[in-house]
Amino acid sequence: MSHIESPPDTSTDPFSGVPIGVAEQDEAHEFYRAMSIVRSVELEIEKMHRLGRMSGSFHSSIGQEAAAVGVCAALRPTDLVTSTHRGHGHALAKGVPIEGIFAELLGRASGVSGGRGGSMHLHHRRSGFLGENAIVAGGVPWAAGAAWARRRRGTDDIAVAFMGDGGFAQGVTHETLLLARFWKSPCLVVCENNGLAHSMPSERLFGPPGTIARMVEATGVLSRYVDGRDVMAVARVARELVAEVRRGVPAFLECSVFRVRPHSLSDPDYRYRPRGAGQDWLARNDPIANLRARLESLPANRVARIDREVAEEVAQALERAEAAARPPASASKWFVYSSPELQNHA
Amino acid sequence: MRELKYAEAIRAALEDEMAIDDSVVVMGEEVGRLGGVFTTTQGLIDRFGDHRVLDSPICEAGLVGFAIGAAVEGMRPVVEIMFSDFVLLALDQIVNLGAKVRYMSGGQFSVPLTIRMPGGAGTNHGPQHSQSLETIFANVPGLVVAMPSNPSDAYWMLRHAIRSDDLVIFLESKNLYFRESGDVDERSGPDGYGARVVREGHDLTVVSAGRMVGRCREAADELAAENISCEVVDLRYLWPLDTTTIEASLRRTGKLAVVHEAVEFCGWGGEVAAWVSEHCFERLDGPMVRIGAERVPIPFGHHLEDEIVPTTGRIVAELRKLAAY
Repeated sequence: MSHIESPPDTSTDPFSGVPIGVAEQDEAHEFYRAMSIVRSVELEIEKMHRLGRMSGSFHSSIGQEAAAVGVCAALRPTDLVTSTHRGHGHALAKGVPIEGIFAELLGRASGVSGGRGGSMHLHHRRSGFLGENAIVAGGVPWAAGAAWARRRRGTDDIAVAFMGDGGFAQGVTHETLLLARFWKSPCLVVCENNGLAHSMPSERLFGPPGTIARMVEATGVLSRYVDGRDVMAVARVARELVAEVRRGVPAFLECSVFRVRPHSLSDPDYRYRPRGAGQDWLARNDPIANLRARLESLPANRVARIDREVAEEVAQALERAEAAARPPASASKWFVYSSPELQNHA
Repeated sequence: MRELKYAEAIRAALEDEMAIDDSVVVMGEEVGRLGGVFTTTQGLIDRFGDHRVLDSPICEAGLVGFAIGAAVEGMRPVVEIMFSDFVLLALDQIVNLGAKVRYMSGGQFSVPLTIRMPGGAGTNHGPQHSQSLETIFANVPGLVVAMPSNPSDAYWMLRHAIRSDDLVIFLESKNLYFRESGDVDERSGPDGYGARVVREGHDLTVVSAGRMVGRCREAADELAAENISCEVVDLRYLWPLDTTTIEASLRRTGKLAVVHEAVEFCGWGGEVAAWVSEHCFERLDGPMVRIGAERVPIPFGHHLEDEIVPTTGRIVAELRKLAAY
């Protein structure tokens, strides 16, 4: 008998969410701010690409903000996170500076990776953000090993590996869950099931949301499913799991979210789903609009002020990032090796 | 100073580094109770315990990714891949993460990780257990590629790799594990990344690495009887490539042959030859010769394998022709 409840069908089920209690309201406001920052940053990046002021591609996390913010709410600053090609939200939720992210996407020297990583290779040690890994599920064993090392070195820090439903098809995910259980690595693998592995429907590959969590549960790893539209629910479940993980075992969390945008900037998603599918979903399920509505029903809500502050903070970060200098040409060859002797040879 | 077999030298290097640094851990399939299928981790679990000698399930990609994670967070893992052929399962983690995370992160992370693996033919293990894959790694920025040819180098190059803050691909020759013995001085120290002239000569230079160094020395011995004097250079590392030693030797001899067990086509011998052509063309008194494996899988039977992998006889014949040019 599974302990994972049957989830609602997030593609059609209208999303309301339980009312926010008085004790939760400060935190809910902080979640609203954090999610709004992610949304605002992603929208600015889209705009910059449209204007031709950013190059390359990027993978938008619009629609998935509650998973990133809810899970990271359960973490300490010293805990670690690895992420995916769709990782701006995870970086922001873990505390990576907005300006450093914008600067990285602009190829500036002040970018978090010095302008050599770009959208899919944000790394920020000080925030505990080990980094994105643009190979699907490639960051999962990285997190497990890092968490294990922290434990070996006497801390009770944990690591979270964000991955997607597409990453659940990768062998390395399953290898890592086995290794983490066997070697007692305190890591939480968070599967953001956004319904599509590029064009492959998750439903077709695995079954309805919650199936992936059940598959993991069958392997003996502590596993839960949560409706990833509701940041309050995500944070609650993530905290329960993180408490277990901190004792020295791995755990797994499937969050059902929705990929509102095409896979990447240039992806013709109208070939595999109805035109406007993303906006239609957002109109009924937007995790941020929903939280906003719940907060607005509280008399002492601060959403309008937060909206203003976020808009200003993001705009200023972008302005500073754009004004920053590009790295010198010689920087293209820096940091290949740690050893000065080898670096000179390279 | 002790006389050790190549496999014993590997084991001694692991033990001695583990004894002085708690962050050194050994991970791999069968490295614990069994002591490694080639005995290179024998007894380590008894001395250091199963928290430092970790038997892994059979999952090379997960294992290497896990070790990279441990390395960026301050451990010095030494991963054993049972046969180098199996490292292909972990190539994504090595190439896309381990070799690049320092660069991608602008220097925020280092990967003090050593991945050991026995490769090469000569033990009747057949096509999926006998390949020499070093060229693949030499082509990847961010990796160090070590190929010791003798017990002393096996010992010190491994200790050097474990202490290094960079990801070292450490290619051992399983053919040499129990056949090659030599003196190991545990009180000397690592000998840097340079190549070594292991036999002096003046007619031609033979550049090699790993197991083939022994065959080149045998070939040089045979040719000495014909008054052909071969200088044998043991590269020790494919990257960094010690071109200074190659160039100095070529100044003395004027002729170059490169011998390796890896497939000749697009093999690292071509890289050495191209470098010499670009930088020492005026020094050359003859065509550069590559002697590598045929572009054919390694067959099981010795008599078939000898048609594919360079034998001492083939090396002698090729060097004789080069000397006569």
